Amino acid sequence: MMILFALLGALVIASAIGVVALRHPIHSALCLVLNLVGVAALYAMLDAHFLSAVQIIVYAGAIMVLVLFVIMLLNIKVEQPHRRGIILTLLATLAGVCFLGILAPLFYRGLRGFTDHSSKIEGTVEAFGELLFTRYLFPFEAASVLIMVAIVGAVMIGKRHQQGGSK
Amino acid sequence: MIPVSFYLTLAALMFTIGVCGVAIRRNVIVVFMCIELMLNAVNLSMVAFSRTVGNLDGQIGVFFVMVVAAAEAAIGLGIIIALFRSTRSLESSEASELRR
Repeated sequence: MMILFALLGALVIASAIGVVALRHPIHSALCLVLNLVGVAALYAMLDAHFLSAVQIIVYAGAIMVLVLFVIMLLNIKVEQPHRRGIILTLLATLAGVCFLGILAPLFYRGLRGFTDHSSKIEGTVEAFGELLFTRYLFPFEAASVLIMVAIVGAVMIGKRHQQGGSK
Repeated sequence: MIPVSFYLTLAALMFTIGVCGVAIRRNVIVVFMCIELMLNAVNLSMVAFSRTVGNLDGQIGVFFVMVVAAAEAAIGLGIIIALFRSTRSLESSEASELRR
């Protein structure tokens, strides 16, 4: 179990670094797919079976296909290195390390009060659906309205504007 | 059994990489993907907490984050295409004015 976690963790971190570090957007997108699949496997290890499947179907299946489609549609060139690039990269990495330094003690000190109820719950479709359609029914319906609005908004934004006059 | 703090550390690392990516990269599509990376890091920590606390509410939260991420992808990519049409590039520094 521990070895599996270490392997998946290494995969997830390496592919996340790949997303940021690789020059070509296509390579970044493929690294992100790898990352999402790794996270889905971690969900499965955490007994969140339904979320693991949804992660693959929605994220790796739908969203990333959309992203790759846009990248190929726009035919992007490789990003040119910038003059201030090195300094900016160093500063951003420094900021990231500081941020991590703030987070890390929280995890080790703040978690001591937790009692671990591990392995009592399982995110099966049955348990998930029951909760989603009873206590979280209203947010669920609101989410469907949100998706509808997003689709209409995407169509409006993507529409070509006519010359002269807003149509 | 793997302690929850391992998952949280992994999530923190992923989130930090995402933050650095947003700061470093200038291609708006890569910035978008880094935002997805951060969302995933938060999702991972929520699933880990959900198991630790012992109820499914955290996983429901992750589900809604995924819904919002899907909506964000539709709108965000639409905006990226509109941006490319008006400026002919995807540099985030090119998009410095609001009017066309």
